[in-house]
Amino acid sequence: MSTGLERQPAVEVTEDELEAIVGDRALARDDHLNAPGFVIRPDDVQDVLKDLRDEAGFDHLANLTAQEYPDRYESIYHLRKYADPTQEVSVVVPTTTDEPVSQTAEPVFRTADWHEREAFDLVGIDYEGHPDPRRILLPETWQGHPLSRDYDQEKPQLVTLTEHANPIQPDHHDDESDTMFLNIGPHHPATHGVLHIETVLDGETVVDVDPDIGYLHRCEEQMCQQGTYRHQIMPYPDRWDYVSAGLLNEWAYARVAEDLADIDVPEYAQVIRTMGAELSRIASHMLALATFALDVYGDFTAIFQYGMRDREVVQDILEDLTGQRLMFNYFRLGGVAWDLPEPREEFIEKTRDFLDGLPAKVDEYNDLLTANEIFQIRTHDTGILEPEVAKQYGCTGPVARGSGIDYDLRRDDPYGYYDNLEWDVVTEDGCDNYSRVLVRMQEVEESAKIIEQCLDLLEDWPEDERTVQSNVPRTLKPDADTEIYRAVEGAKGELGIYIRADGTDKPGRFKIRSPCFHNLSALPEMAEGEYIPDMIASLGSLDIVLGEVDR
Amino acid sequence: MTGLQFAAPVDTTPAVPTVPLQDTVLLPERIGELTGLDGFGLGGELLATFIAAFIVGNLMLAMTGVAGPWAKRKITAAFTDRIAVNRLGPAGLFIILADSVRLLSKELVIPENADRPAYDLAPIVVAGSALLGFAVIPMGSGIHLADPEVGLAYVFAVSGIASLGLVMAGYSSANKYSMLGGLRAVAQNIAYEIPLVITGMSVVIFAGTLQLGEIVAAQHETLVEIAGISIPTWYAFVNPFAFVLFLVANFAEVGRNPFDTPEAPTEIVAGYQTEYSSVYFVLIYLGEFLHIFLGGAIIATIFLGGPAGPGPAALGIVWFIIKIWGVFFATQWLRSAVPRVRIDQLIEIGWKGLLVLSFANLVLTAVIVGLIA
Repeated sequence: MSTGLERQPAVEVTEDELEAIVGDRALARDDHLNAPGFVIRPDDVQDVLKDLRDEAGFDHLANLTAQEYPDRYESIYHLRKYADPTQEVSVVVPTTTDEPVSQTAEPVFRTADWHEREAFDLVGIDYEGHPDPRRILLPETWQGHPLSRDYDQEKPQLVTLTEHANPIQPDHHDDESDTMFLNIGPHHPATHGVLHIETVLDGETVVDVDPDIGYLHRCEEQMCQQGTYRHQIMPYPDRWDYVSAGLLNEWAYARVAEDLADIDVPEYAQVIRTMGAELSRIASHMLALATFALDVYGDFTAIFQYGMRDREVVQDILEDLTGQRLMFNYFRLGGVAWDLPEPREEFIEKTRDFLDGLPAKVDEYNDLLTANEIFQIRTHDTGILEPEVAKQYGCTGPVARGSGIDYDLRRDDPYGYYDNLEWDVVTEDGCDNYSRVLVRMQEVEESAKIIEQCLDLLEDWPEDERTVQSNVPRTLKPDADTEIYRAVEGAKGELGIYIRADGTDKPGRFKIRSPCFHNLSALPEMAEGEYIPDMIASLGSLDIVLGEVDR
Repeated sequence: MTGLQFAAPVDTTPAVPTVPLQDTVLLPERIGELTGLDGFGLGGELLATFIAAFIVGNLMLAMTGVAGPWAKRKITAAFTDRIAVNRLGPAGLFIILADSVRLLSKELVIPENADRPAYDLAPIVVAGSALLGFAVIPMGSGIHLADPEVGLAYVFAVSGIASLGLVMAGYSSANKYSMLGGLRAVAQNIAYEIPLVITGMSVVIFAGTLQLGEIVAAQHETLVEIAGISIPTWYAFVNPFAFVLFLVANFAEVGRNPFDTPEAPTEIVAGYQTEYSSVYFVLIYLGEFLHIFLGGAIIATIFLGGPAGPGPAALGIVWFIIKIWGVFFATQWLRSAVPRVRIDQLIEIGWKGLLVLSFANLVLTAVIVGLIA
């Protein structure tokens, strides 16, 4: 499985060393539950981040949260290490309400580009020196910033087509360079949802790519801020990555809320969670493989249908377990909603049957897909994403692992029951579309291993110890100003959530770190200079779900 | 051209049999005789020809009617573990009627900046060029409209007109995807037309004639006899290499998987046909199927013995249609199983691979035929 790339043990950086690195630039400390936090001046952002990256090894800008307090704006840069994501540090950058201007972090971390655009769009912080200070999720003519405190929701938005960038504008033909501007999407067979890619073509070669997102923005963060911790937030995660990765998403919220409110989860529930999450991962990867085949094959071919057929079996099992096909809403804070369905033996039998049949199916996929010569010449050495570039863009999940980055939160920042099970993290160092397919293919097998072990555990679990939920208070009110960022390994990568409690039973700020958002932002790096078909293949290999990109 | 030096003695080669053709009487003449139209001079002759062409044209259109809405779905479904249409009529056959009504009743949307009449003519050119090709194909059972001496050249010439239709469609739609599709179609057709014709020429060297009736007749001999089963001198058996080359070039020529880059739904939406709707779309779609069938007809004629098959000669048309459908089935098989190559790879395969191989095949054939002669 593992490709010769040995994991470099991360150098442990103590808090004292961190303090020394930040030095005088730290105005104060603002520790979060997950990490030490340093408050710095808005014009020190690049310096501090650069020092933390180069001297302390924090090479992963996991997330950027922007929020408005009554007296100030705040941008929080959540840093971690690819080599050891349990080492975290937060850089807090407050700015005044009158003049919310902060230095951009884009030269240090490329991924800050999209994040700062989002922070500007939704919260209203200006980033000085940002190369592309446009809105990202909302239309360009939007009035106001929806997550700022003085935003008036009642005010009608007048967004006329003449003011708005017309998505079907006739031509951007440039007489001198002889290139062609082409809108791919929002309605296009290969955009996997409503994604709009503005491309500039030179013949068949892609010269410039600019993904335009936000068509599926559903104010998920805002909605979560209006729900109570205990029950009202859990249904939303199902709707981020809605292609059957629901349980993985739910776990992201369960993990962050349980750590925030200090809730224990019974071991038995952890095993069920682990099993359910891996079933979700298989379903999600099957869909990813099937649709990638669709992108490359160009028709609804056998491999696509086989992928869907086998995913359907997983879907059935998940339906038995949770009562739902896609929007599971099965996790609860402190456990899961209910035990395995009765009769237990039948459920376990059915799941085992699926696992037993899986190797033959994977062989079939390999015959049709990875062993196919035309498929290989189509995907080898196309959509190259070098590991350094991937880290710059904060890529995680199969995309990062396809570039040889050995990063998997299930192992590196353990949660659930993963620590007690035997399985491997799959990496491939081809950095191309082919590697990403191989990674997903092998991860399906690894997930099957995990499920197998969970089933053994569940089967033999003593009947009187099958506690599916711990005792959780009816109303959760974490202390005001506790802040936490926690992530799980979703189907597409690091799915994280930042919550700031404000003393009530609802989050003061709820920020979602979407893996697809980061992965998609790396598309220009992979596609520019390639042919159109390779751009489409690269897009397919990223396996994005627009529901999670736009939130 | 080495090939031509060796081609000269072919005309006198005894390998060409002199057995009478089964289609010596062409269909228009027979209709003229049966209906007594041949007594009315040129007018009667024209009418008889028209009736004959009407029969052949409708036979082909009926086949595409079955292939498009029904057979294609059923075949693909069989490959992908599904059932496909099964609600209307036996095995869902009546879906053909339902689909025809549906397609014809759709709104015809014509883009504002479309370049007319090129936009309106393109579907007719695409469908018409394929229909024209069937004029010289000997289909057995006496269904053969004309047998000119340059039959094979004629077939390649008229099916080549389709490229013009595709360019017209791509350019006149005022859509960038159509434009890309049209350009791809031309690039592809140029790259594959040459290997196609060159490979066709190797058959001509064997047969010593361009006349399709003669080429079919030349395949009536027995090549070898194995355990009582005689293998005829079908050129697919005589020169399997040329057969495979021709098959591949043909798939590219008609733009089927793995060479369906001009349409490439996941890349350029639907290529040159993106902006076509309603009847225009039906015509283009029809034209594509007709081209698949024409490709199948050419392959059947020059490589698979035309209408030849076991049983009485009257069954010729049945065998012929089975052979055409065999080729159609192959296109659907590939569609379900093979990924599409990228446009640059496609051009590369055409110019660097097939062209070289087809010339090698031509030279080799000429040498062999020359030596035997």
